[in-house]
Amino acid sequence: MISQLPCDVRVRVADMAAASHGERLVTVGLGSCVAIILHDPKCGVGGLAHVLLPSPEMSRENDNPAKFPCTAVPALLDDMERLGATGEITARLVGGASMFRSLLAYGGVNMGERNVSASRQALSVAGISLVAEDTGGEHGRSVYFDVATGRLIVRSVSAGDRDI
Amino acid sequence: MNDLHLDDSQVGDLRSLSPLHLDALREVANIGAGHAATALSQMTDKTILISVPTINIARLEELPPQLAETEEPVAAVLMSMLGDLSGRTLLVFPNRTARRLAEIMLRRPLPPSETLGELEESAVKEAGNILSGAYMNALSEFLGMILLPSPPSLAVDSASAILSTAYLQFSPDRDYVFCVESEFLMQDSTERLRGFFLLLPDFPSLQAILRAVRLA
Repeated sequence: MISQLPCDVRVRVADMAAASHGERLVTVGLGSCVAIILHDPKCGVGGLAHVLLPSPEMSRENDNPAKFPCTAVPALLDDMERLGATGEITARLVGGASMFRSLLAYGGVNMGERNVSASRQALSVAGISLVAEDTGGEHGRSVYFDVATGRLIVRSVSAGDRDI
Repeated sequence: MNDLHLDDSQVGDLRSLSPLHLDALREVANIGAGHAATALSQMTDKTILISVPTINIARLEELPPQLAETEEPVAAVLMSMLGDLSGRTLLVFPNRTARRLAEIMLRRPLPPSETLGELEESAVKEAGNILSGAYMNALSEFLGMILLPSPPSLAVDSASAILSTAYLQFSPDRDYVFCVESEFLMQDSTERLRGFFLLLPDFPSLQAILRAVRLA
């Protein structure tokens, strides 16, 4: 049998996508942003949201659901359902770094940390179990998520590749 | 529509800046970048060319693409600006330029490696400190304001992660990015090296700058 490489679906900042067999969800350049990755292994459907801010109150332009964890999770679940997800869904979180941390003392918000806790909260509200995360620290990350196999590779400049 | 509207409690609308305002901001940035280029030239003993500054006003999710569309690692030095103006400066060097800059500053060739060691990182950070210092000094003199730089902070990472974090964690505006960007070109013996200098003033400081040049 010839195995085919999955086709990449790129998810940009403040964007989300659901995908099924034969597709790989990719998002690059996560700094303090967080990637929420959902997976229904039984039906082979996955979803990824690249969220920017912990809450809609922090923004004047809050009509894009993919921007915030509390709106991204339900919207992503709907998209996955449309692709046939009916089984149990698990979640993984990647990102939420805090680069230039030493400058936070001069005025700033640890947005990475806040994005991670808001994402955990949004998953808990939706009743989805968080099975793995690679979050925090001071380095950026990129995510490559093969929907069919459920394999998730986190790539970073300083720490190389890592499966979670 | 050409009036710069701002009320104290809220960040005003960056899109209301007129072409005249933008020209003035470009000119102010050019004075800063000119001094930074002189400092870089003295530090490296090389000819430095600077571009005319470009102003980017973009939504946070549509970061300036010439820096952000890539996973290629860059070395970036972020400094906070305190005093009469608030904002940040961000100096971005592609990895190769950062390595060459470290070699020049340390006066010895680096071992072949993709990463920067502790000493090289410290050299790049110091270069960033000197350049941002020169930029802020020039602004301070020209505008008649007191500007105090914070210590520098360095990150070596993908350009898009660095840019989004620099805006997201430190800017009071979570929707729009305002940055004035100057590009440096350094003619080395074999190759052309480049870097980007970004001035990221907070919106109230933009108005303070425009007031200082009598445009607001």
